[in-house]
Amino acid sequence: MMTDPALRIVQVGFATTVQDRGRSGLAHLGVPTAGAVDRRAHDLMNRLVGNSPGAATIETMGAFIVEALRPVVVARSTDASRHTLSTGDRFRVDAPSESVWAYLSVRGGIAVEPVLGSRSVDTLGHLGPAAIVVDMLLDVGSDPGTPLVAEHAPERDPADRGVRIWDGPQHDWFIGGRQTLIERPWRVTNELSRVGVRLDTGDFPRSTRSEPQMSSIGLTEGAIQITPSGEPIVMLANHPTTGGYPVIAVVDPDDLSSLVQRRPGATVSFRRA
Amino acid sequence: MERRPYGPRAWLVEGIDDPPAWAAALAAIDVPGVVEIVPAETTVVVRCTRQRHGAIGDVLDMVVAAPAARDSEPPITIDVIYDGPDIADLAAVAQVSVDDVVRLHVTGSYHVAFCGFSPGFGYLRGIDRRLHVPRRDTPRRSVPAGSVGIAAGYSCVYPSTSPGGWYLIGHTTDTLWDVDSDPPALLRPGRAVRFRMVSG
Repeated sequence: MMTDPALRIVQVGFATTVQDRGRSGLAHLGVPTAGAVDRRAHDLMNRLVGNSPGAATIETMGAFIVEALRPVVVARSTDASRHTLSTGDRFRVDAPSESVWAYLSVRGGIAVEPVLGSRSVDTLGHLGPAAIVVDMLLDVGSDPGTPLVAEHAPERDPADRGVRIWDGPQHDWFIGGRQTLIERPWRVTNELSRVGVRLDTGDFPRSTRSEPQMSSIGLTEGAIQITPSGEPIVMLANHPTTGGYPVIAVVDPDDLSSLVQRRPGATVSFRRA
Repeated sequence: MERRPYGPRAWLVEGIDDPPAWAAALAAIDVPGVVEIVPAETTVVVRCTRQRHGAIGDVLDMVVAAPAARDSEPPITIDVIYDGPDIADLAAVAQVSVDDVVRLHVTGSYHVAFCGFSPGFGYLRGIDRRLHVPRRDTPRRSVPAGSVGIAAGYSCVYPSTSPGGWYLIGHTTDTLWDVDSDPPALLRPGRAVRFRMVSG
């Protein structure tokens, strides 16, 4: 029930959705976790406005604009800054130019009605709140009463230390196992969504199996599946609950944020976790 | 039973006779740090916190699956109108008559082997071998909620409208997925299922 909306959507961008930390405990029923693709950026923007990390934010690939209908405190990840908006102020979140996913947090959190315990829009299972559209009014939760400390979050560390990977359960299905991913740099393709990202190179891992078929297994965020044509696909926050391709390796959860923010054409180097 | 590491927040458990029963046995222990228990065709994946990964691995070695829990609960009965658009195609592929498709499907005893593909989508094991056919060559962009399908050695009921590549043999007006119900899915791993023919 909306009593006192705080934001109006003036312009929506590509892939603009409400996200939080996702729904858990229902994967056995086929319900994906969903939630923010870059959990670290989502949590950081919540911290800037004094929210708990579970508060809902707006995730986007493309630029969008909101208008404050009453005074609100917001933060955006594109320049990692906090702002206090007065009634009538418009606030723009640009499409990230150096990364893929941007977040807007609001003090109190986006207060759309949760579905199955989460405000995340599940773009695969089609669960969660309604899509964000122009002129939509958004309520925010009550003020958390926390102190506001920093106005800026630390910028992302530009140094590329590589993405750490662990053995996946089917690493021994491939000649050389996960080492074959480590030996060569990979390129991020433009097949990139909340569900996963496909990587490319001229030289794919080769299977030790003549019949590379297996029965479906449960998936986990960061799992690197190898498709029958040899291409790695990294499962992201909105991955399906089960999948039928062998999992050669798993990205360390602490390095997922770095991986998901690489734009198409960027390279990825893996290293041993 | 063998468990394989699956990154720092999951285990893959293989070599289990009855994944839903094993998953239920683990869920009943209520181990702190376990986030998801995901049974699949022949395996169970246990997702957990990073901090508890090692300790949970030790717990998994001690889980003993109870005899199939599906025998202790009455089967779910789903009413089906056998009017699907692919029933003749399926009969042709399976080299049986349309009446045989209906008879073999409606007399089968099924259970939910696992869920996946979409929320509330159960893979129903127990279909007659004569109806074991692969998926259709070309999937449909949109299959209506309630459609009853056959493919890949399973039967299914589409819980919501979604793309799909199974042979559609009929439909039900029963609700399989409702986010306001607890649990939201009618079909849960391990549950026994029967079909009943009704007229449209």
